[in-house]
Amino acid sequence: MTTRRRTRLALAAAALLLAASEAGAQVTELRVVRVREEGPFRDPAAAFWKEAPTTAVTLLPQAMTLPNNLKPAVQSLQVRGVHDGEWIAFLLEWPDTTKSDRIVVDQFGDKVAIEFPAEFKKDALPSPMMGNPGGRVEIWQWRAPFQQDLERGRPQVASDLYPNAHVDVYPDELLRAIDARPYMGAVGVDNLITRADKSPVLEQIAEGWGSLTIQPDDQQADGKGEWADGGWRVVMTHPLVGGETDVRFAPGGETAVAFAVWDGGSREAGPRKSWSTWAAVKLAE
Amino acid sequence: MPKVYNWQIGREMDYPYEGARPTKQFAMLFDTNKCIACQTCTVACKTTWTPGRGQEYMFWNNVETKPYGYYPLGWDVKILEQHGVQDVSGPVYKGKTLFESAPSGERILGYLPEDLDYAHPNVGEDDSLGDMQQGELLQIPHMQWMYYLPRICNHCTYPACLASCPRMSIYKREEDGIVLLDQTRCRGYRECVKGCPYKKTFFNPITRVSEKCIGCYPAVEGGRQTQCTITCIGKIRLQGFLGKPDAIREDNPIDYIVHVAKIACPLYPQFGLEPNTYYIPPVHVPPRYLVQMFGVGVERAVAGYRKVADDEKLLGALLLFGATPMIIHHYKVEAGVSIGYDEQGAELVRVPLSEAIHVRPAFDEKHQAYRTNIT
Repeated sequence: MTTRRRTRLALAAAALLLAASEAGAQVTELRVVRVREEGPFRDPAAAFWKEAPTTAVTLLPQAMTLPNNLKPAVQSLQVRGVHDGEWIAFLLEWPDTTKSDRIVVDQFGDKVAIEFPAEFKKDALPSPMMGNPGGRVEIWQWRAPFQQDLERGRPQVASDLYPNAHVDVYPDELLRAIDARPYMGAVGVDNLITRADKSPVLEQIAEGWGSLTIQPDDQQADGKGEWADGGWRVVMTHPLVGGETDVRFAPGGETAVAFAVWDGGSREAGPRKSWSTWAAVKLAE
Repeated sequence: MPKVYNWQIGREMDYPYEGARPTKQFAMLFDTNKCIACQTCTVACKTTWTPGRGQEYMFWNNVETKPYGYYPLGWDVKILEQHGVQDVSGPVYKGKTLFESAPSGERILGYLPEDLDYAHPNVGEDDSLGDMQQGELLQIPHMQWMYYLPRICNHCTYPACLASCPRMSIYKREEDGIVLLDQTRCRGYRECVKGCPYKKTFFNPITRVSEKCIGCYPAVEGGRQTQCTITCIGKIRLQGFLGKPDAIREDNPIDYIVHVAKIACPLYPQFGLEPNTYYIPPVHVPPRYLVQMFGVGVERAVAGYRKVADDEKLLGALLLFGATPMIIHHYKVEAGVSIGYDEQGAELVRVPLSEAIHVRPAFDEKHQAYRTNIT
């Protein structure tokens, strides 16, 4: 599909959504309550989450671009939001019978993402499907394998991924670090997708399909995911006012939010996902 | 979907992007009749490019035994089975390409190999098709046969990996047609691993992104042939550039062998990727198998190869295999010598078409001694 055609489709979809909201269709509204505890909020099991109302967000299969999976595993998310005047956080819950955090060629990781318009204009929202040229969105994405990296260390071939493997020697055991970099592929060129640095959440921007970009200098989003009782509970948190180009939140203010989930056990990655349209977010004073 | 022209199947076909042939197209020739599967190419590639973490079972270059060898396991029979029986009988392909066979929701017909499929790179090694019965004599083509198939990335004119990537992390270089996977851009979706029918893009579980053969581009940029080519002890390979189908040059040894003499054929042309590695087919293998693997031109290729002694120009081109580490852009045959030149026209190598014969008499007059043949 050409870029132009994609853009057209994305704009058409955005127009449809706007038309639907103008016609008075039910638009999900997410209320973010103020809590006394101080952020950053990283505990999915914290007691204060009970103070926030739960909003059920319907997820649809990504069906606008290729490739896709019209029967994604996750069809709905339970979402709660809190803030303390400095930090905002969302708790996302969904059922998942398989915890997927080991990555080899035929195994994929569980992931969940929250998306905001980079600049909130109520009557000119970007496409909820990763934005559109000129309509920038910010996307925070929590990754189960990143959570695993932080909790147990980055997996190694012989000790973690393939316990019976034996390897004689690697270039980085013989060469100076700088000389070993060419033998390290994406790690050697500092591709941030390769591993969790300090946080299991990646902060990213996009202006349409295929344009998702990690900003190495703007990684303030943090969070944590816990898998228990056949489901994920994931928190993502961010300062209300972050970097200059960041999405900005204000007590009493509003913006829009959309979600996407990838079920690793169903080999969902990239465009093979379930996603939601924009929901309204209102922050308590 | 745009239409592009694929000369290997003799017709236009669907491809997700507009067709744009590079200025020069990286190409490699393999003489399968000379390959002994010593794996020197595999080791040369491995030590040069893939000795790192997560690359333990990754072979950008591999040599497998056909019909029972595969890396990864069953790569070609699996996609052939999904593709179904296709009509490969005519010069204009009447079947569907993998792009034209894309299921709903996909850009191409493909499959994602299992992790363990990569764990047996030598599976089927030296296994032949059937046993020789008591008293049987091999005829040509052999009734029981096997041969070695060396493989690298085909640096296809219409790459399926590139077409499959939703992030456009894979690109084909305008200057030499080499297909590269951007290590800073890839996010490890594995669509390319699924889409490439030759399974020559690989997933690295340590870097969590995909990697592939880079056509030794740092060498190629310096006018040097790839590591797998220059280390080949059997001199079965020649790496250089293939001309555009409407601009072939008879003084380019690769063009001469592929387009003029037509003795080298692409691998599974019916997939529709216009792969740019070309195989001189094994002369002892039944044509029915070869046609499926190398296309309709294969019988003509075998016949042409058998008559190489009658075509001095073809013999001269074949003798340039393994003759120099540098890329030969032009060649000529003159006074019984094949001469290879670089892009600027400087002479690289001279190879005599027939070697001088030295007769060593059984009795050495100088030393007044009989020579003994100790072999």
